Amino acid sequence: MKVDYIIPAGQTRELVFINEVDMHWHIIQEAESVLKLHVICLAQDQSDAQWHANLTVEQNGAGCRTEIYSMALLHHYQQAHLRARVIHNIGGGYSSQVIKFVLDDHTKASFQGCLKIQPDAQQTEAYQTNRNILLSRHADMLTEPQLEIYADDVKASHGATTGQLDEAALFYMQQRCVDRATASKLLLQAFFDEVLRTLTDEGVREELNQTIENIL
Amino acid sequence: MLEIKNLHASIAGKEILKGLNLTVRPGEVHAIMGPNGAGKSTLSNVLTGHPAYTVTEGEIWFRGKNLLEMSPEERAREGIFLSFQYPVEIPGVSMVNFMRTAVNEKRQHQGLEPLKATDFLKLMREKKALVGMDNKLTNRSVNEGFSGGEKKRNEIFQMAMLEPCLSILDETDSGLDIDALRIVAEGVNALKTPQTASIVITHYQRLLDYIVPDFVHVLADGQIVRTEGKELALELEEKGYAFLNE
Repeated sequence: MKVDYIIPAGQTRELVFINEVDMHWHIIQEAESVLKLHVICLAQDQSDAQWHANLTVEQNGAGCRTEIYSMALLHHYQQAHLRARVIHNIGGGYSSQVIKFVLDDHTKASFQGCLKIQPDAQQTEAYQTNRNILLSRHADMLTEPQLEIYADDVKASHGATTGQLDEAALFYMQQRCVDRATASKLLLQAFFDEVLRTLTDEGVREELNQTIENIL
Repeated sequence: MLEIKNLHASIAGKEILKGLNLTVRPGEVHAIMGPNGAGKSTLSNVLTGHPAYTVTEGEIWFRGKNLLEMSPEERAREGIFLSFQYPVEIPGVSMVNFMRTAVNEKRQHQGLEPLKATDFLKLMREKKALVGMDNKLTNRSVNEGFSGGEKKRNEIFQMAMLEPCLSILDETDSGLDIDALRIVAEGVNALKTPQTASIVITHYQRLLDYIVPDFVHVLADGQIVRTEGKELALELEEKGYAFLNE
């Protein structure tokens, strides 16, 4: 597989992809390097946009750190499909994948998340979470978390849930004078905050918050 | 202020309230006691418009308006406040943001301008002091990681912020030690005015040592079967509800 990007030993990179229609990236991390990668699908004005992202990150040196964050807020007929593979070839590394999608209307999305820990990658710490909220009964989410662990001294976990907004929280907020639409908005903003607050660039964060606000 | 006439309500097809009548006037404190399953929490859920409950018969009038025609948030803006038995944790929604939204929604309903940031923070400070609410709690997400007692105190804090006409305290004493109970009760008493009223739903007499009721009602099998003054709570504490079976 073609390598698109190498992060040299000891260096830190933050990559932010917003509304990339079709991205394929294969990233190699050398020892002690740090990667923060964000894939964000959030378009107010395109009613049938389709986003495909295919990412592979390999840790080829010891002590690497990989953080992948992705969020999508889909409406109308939009689609977002994310395939993320994190491969730990050498031990002592850390990786996390935090994927949060919200699907409204007739949207479709999928997440295929593969976490692979090779036999030489002892003492790896790796996490993967995928949380999705469906706002419409016509929305469709497919999630396929996958763990392949070939080393025995590792810490790894994964979790995937797809559900609706918390009814108990909505009623609680309504009892405090907040109408249902505003309450839903507060809950969704809170939901995305876990991803947004990881963006270093405050300007980008503000802009995305504004787009979320406009869509909701 | 509140008039409930022949209220019948059910959940999932099961009738819980079976012809309940209750009148609450400004300045009054009503205690509602009764055995488990009598319908105490159903009453608070129906008054606040919880969607799981269906009113099958009867009327509820609140300050001259038909309560049953209003959404939960309209009832709240009209001045009904429920201190939840189990306050909900809302991760990621800050107390400050939540309260600012709530207070301003209520103000808008009353035809008032939203509060300026400085005035809002001043109001928060005042009300925190009134109910002994810790800064570290108001800096967190709504109820997230709060202890049982902290959640109950947060309910009273929110009550102070929203200044309701009718507050319903649903088992506010459950999960509280005696010190926390006293602080919560002092908060409730500090908020009492001749224009406001409270309905205190409780299992135990001990809360009523601090929040002294004008009336004590016994709710059993979906109806109020006995109404007396505050002495009734003491009698119930001593003798229980055995009289219901006589």
